[in-house]
Amino acid sequence: MSRIGVPKGFDLQKSVIYVGFFTIFLFFSFTLHDDGFLTTRNLTNIVLQTAPATIMAIGLVFVISAGEFDLSFGSAVAVSALAAAVVLQDYPMLVGVLAGIGAGTLIGALNGVLVAYLRLPSFLVTLATLGLFAGIARSMTNLRSIPVINDSFTGIFGSGKLASVPSLVIWTILAVAVGHFLYWHTRFGAHVLATGDNPRAAQVAGIRIERVRFLVLTLCGATAGLAGILYAGRLQAAKYTLGESDLMTVIAAVIVGGTALKGGKGSIIGALFGSLLMGMLNNGLILMGLSVSDQMIVRGLIILIAVAVSLRDTSH
Amino acid sequence: MNYILKAVLSAASFGIASTAAFAQTIGPNGESATPSSSIVVPAASEEAVRAGNHTAAMLWHDQSDFVNAVTAGATDEFTRLGIEVVATTNAAFDAAKQRSDIETAMTKGPDIILSLPLDPVTSAAAFEEAKQAGVSLVFLSNLPAGYVHPDHYAAIVTDDLFQMGKQAADALAAAMSNSGSVGWIFHDANYYVTNQRDNAFKTTIENDYPNISIVAEQGISDPARAEEIANAMLLKNPDLGGIYVTWAGPAEGVLAALRANGNTSTKIVTLDLSEPIALDMVRGGNVIAIIADEAYELGRAMAAAGVLGLLGEKVPPFAVAPAITVTAGNVAEGWMQSLRIAPPASVMAGN
Repeated sequence: MSRIGVPKGFDLQKSVIYVGFFTIFLFFSFTLHDDGFLTTRNLTNIVLQTAPATIMAIGLVFVISAGEFDLSFGSAVAVSALAAAVVLQDYPMLVGVLAGIGAGTLIGALNGVLVAYLRLPSFLVTLATLGLFAGIARSMTNLRSIPVINDSFTGIFGSGKLASVPSLVIWTILAVAVGHFLYWHTRFGAHVLATGDNPRAAQVAGIRIERVRFLVLTLCGATAGLAGILYAGRLQAAKYTLGESDLMTVIAAVIVGGTALKGGKGSIIGALFGSLLMGMLNNGLILMGLSVSDQMIVRGLIILIAVAVSLRDTSH
Repeated sequence: MNYILKAVLSAASFGIASTAAFAQTIGPNGESATPSSSIVVPAASEEAVRAGNHTAAMLWHDQSDFVNAVTAGATDEFTRLGIEVVATTNAAFDAAKQRSDIETAMTKGPDIILSLPLDPVTSAAAFEEAKQAGVSLVFLSNLPAGYVHPDHYAAIVTDDLFQMGKQAADALAAAMSNSGSVGWIFHDANYYVTNQRDNAFKTTIENDYPNISIVAEQGISDPARAEEIANAMLLKNPDLGGIYVTWAGPAEGVLAALRANGNTSTKIVTLDLSEPIALDMVRGGNVIAIIADEAYELGRAMAAAGVLGLLGEKVPPFAVAPAITVTAGNVAEGWMQSLRIAPPASVMAGN
């Protein structure tokens, strides 16, 4: 790329998330210096608050990179959190964790079967399962919230720390590391990218694209399950609304983070920064003392600019 | 108002008040109500409050006309007392977002927090940090589980729920000349706010108006089904003189059913201000009254309770803001009294 004002070799699209993240970070650092923005506590809060969305974003990077879409992960989060909370009332922590992650994984696998083997469009399948599992989440506990009083669970998946590092930060680092490794350093990751880039060519090259599609949707369900567990640990309760409002935030984080909507290209680290950017915007705009309406307007404009830059087709 | 529906739909309820019929609004732990007007910061304390350079945060559950009016009432009271509002948030009925909002606001160390806890269960942990920090907490209509007055919070403030239901009954009875049959469309769920309002209507009709009988009762949980419910009710009871509808959203569906049937005689009374409902009322349609709350006053009282809590003064645990009967004759004044804004232009033009 060679443009006026842009150094040769600098790919603005690829770097937009990092440029945007650090620009906004510097802006808040200066303007909110006296409002506690730069305190360790506040910066840690941003990571804690975005941990579930970051983990959902990792699953979605795989799905979109493979040329598919998942709209149902928010419902999977609620079902997983409720499943874990209900099971934890009578069973040990491990069983609750398995119930939560298992529920999310099963929802993802159902999406996967419908998309990969029945050849239904993922956008429509997951639009349907979004509603289906949102209804199931509501009926599971008759709209009641379920408290989680298992201290081990709330410590490991919520408010606990390991060597002064909050457990949610550790889960975020682990998920990003595993996701990044899978994406860039395994055959599975290469197959995901190849399937998303050109499914016909991938098939000719011997890649079982149905299997890839099934696995990415299942993986997305599993990450939604983990996100549900983290919500249940953090809130010490589960509720049918958990995850519902994350849909747009997570999609924006993934796209701003450099994952191409048409598939074949993506970034786990970019999604991490995309998620942190969303959390930082929420945090900074509140600390600025803006009214709720102004917060929404400014956040929308910033995301619009970031998405416009990251999606702009430079081939023309 | 939508806030009530959404709040109750998102929350585990105060079961204590759900089914029993009380002659007044009662609190989540059975507290008797204190009028919000009695919550006032004494003039003698005002200078001390101003000198304290205190700060406050308003961490709301949603954004609506109601929340805007509560915010305006609270902000004016805080401003009068020299208290800076350092954060205002909207959790959009997301319990996780509410927790994040509380954490973010706590970065600015507010002395007072006004909030509607989305859910007694999830809110208990969410407000824990603020509770531990000794923030003066004032809750709107809901209480986190296990919180004890006055150690953990200054007060709960809500609408005068019983009066809202009673005034709906009085207005409908007056429009029906105190005789005839009515239909009762209530919120079919175990929820504190709507249950108290609905039961107050029914109790008042049964006790105070012997010549009016409730001949049809139908619960509703999905406002989108209001039209079909009203159609069925009218089919079985074509001579209904009036219909009570639990809040304005489903009342719009009931109104649509009456219009579709060419019915101009059956009266509607409902709760919470809504432009389409008010427009029908001022045009002389089926709607004869809307019962609203004094949301601005509610916000003022919340702010005052927060300040009193901060000063360590005694605050009643449970306070209620008055109800207002809004009719075609007082729609401008009623709207202003409730929300501190003028009615929509369409309503004024139709008046």
